[in-house]
Amino acid sequence: MSRIIDSSLEGLLSTLNKMGGMAYNAVSKALLECLDGREAYNEIREISDHLLTMTDYVEDRTFELIVRYQPVASDLRRIKSYMKIAYDLARFGRYALDISFTNKKLERLKNCEEWIKIYIKEMGEKVLDMIKLSIEALKNSDAQLARNISEKENEVDKMHLEFLDKLIKSETTTRCAISSILIIRYLERIADHAAYICESIIYIATGQKEVLR
Amino acid sequence: MVKFDIQNLNAWFGSKHVLKNINMKIEENTVTAIIGPSGCGKTTLLRCLNRMHELIPGARVSGKVIFNGVNIYDNSVDPVMVRRKIGMVFQKPNPFPMMSIYDNVAVGLKLNGIRDKRVLDAAVKRSLELANLWDEVKDELNKSGASLSGGQQQRLCIARALAVEPEVLLMDEPCSALDPISTAKIEELIRKLAKDYTIIIVTHNVQQAARVSDFTAFLYLGELIEYGPTRQIFENPQNELTERYLTGKFG
Repeated sequence: MSRIIDSSLEGLLSTLNKMGGMAYNAVSKALLECLDGREAYNEIREISDHLLTMTDYVEDRTFELIVRYQPVASDLRRIKSYMKIAYDLARFGRYALDISFTNKKLERLKNCEEWIKIYIKEMGEKVLDMIKLSIEALKNSDAQLARNISEKENEVDKMHLEFLDKLIKSETTTRCAISSILIIRYLERIADHAAYICESIIYIATGQKEVLR
Repeated sequence: MVKFDIQNLNAWFGSKHVLKNINMKIEENTVTAIIGPSGCGKTTLLRCLNRMHELIPGARVSGKVIFNGVNIYDNSVDPVMVRRKIGMVFQKPNPFPMMSIYDNVAVGLKLNGIRDKRVLDAAVKRSLELANLWDEVKDELNKSGASLSGGQQQRLCIARALAVEPEVLLMDEPCSALDPISTAKIEELIRKLAKDYTIIIVTHNVQQAARVSDFTAFLYLGELIEYGPTRQIFENPQNELTERYLTGKFG
């Protein structure tokens, strides 16, 4: 039996999926910019702004659903979580913009050592993978898939700390140190938000609050 | 403290088995909401708690309802005393139409032999105050109870139930005939009364259950499917049937 609320929930999910695609795109572009030097700041800024507008839209719609239908149980968990997930997706966009801004301000990683670039490339790939996983899990409220993010998040955290240790011991330039530290930090925060999304998916599906970080 | 300990309670209308092996404990000074689709046994459960079910011809009950440590279905227990301790408020406000507001509240006490005007005056005032009605009617206590609005009539019925100093109030859809403002007043009253009384409310309005109750019981086809803290039932029900009922997925 289809309920009146169902079409609105489907509409919200489709908006979130769209936001997920845009956020993935923004982070990919920011990473390409770091490594290949392809300038994309304005494009990323546009995506990030759009994601913020969409977050407002999701928030307004969730309020409307609460007012109209007084949702409970899994409907209520879904609505609460969609609001949080919209924010997480907007954060992806914002961190992509922060990476792009760092590239712009500090001339990307142009003159940095190869090992720094490799770290950022590998961590970037892992983070993109996490974004993809979180969006996939969201599509079907797949708690099992969502739980897989935990291991990936640990790997990213480990890389982050390893990178810092290595950087302290290195003799790289100040410019390189600042830009790489910032970029690595932004990537680590993106990974956190991917994990938050997966925690929300588990909450939607099971009602349990699991910590995946 | 456990006010009611319901053990293996079954109820029938003739051969129809309407309550099946209900087991639940109800804490003192809490509000418990009973929800479930029409015909699931909500009202029957409520009526079993003060021995009103047996007043219906052909109706019978088995099992125990232990109230303050005593099984109200023991042969030695007087059902009239049970009903005095466990009052009831019905779906439709039912003040005695030929009686004044004052007499509507005092009637239970008078039936119990209290004649002292001062005692009656004090009890009427106290009950109407408890029911949040005193300020609205204090200058017209001699007017007919039927002259009040629907919401006021329901609060008058609550005052009438409170006058005989019960420990428990059973409410059978007390707001279903009321507008949102009167409903809000009754809900506010329920929360206020819960400080001193144990309240069990049957409601079709699940949002009302969410607003007023501390615990919620979900009944389906005469069985207690789920019973727990209201927040848990409404945020994360453990039983698929509860989830389906609350989210309107039945059908």
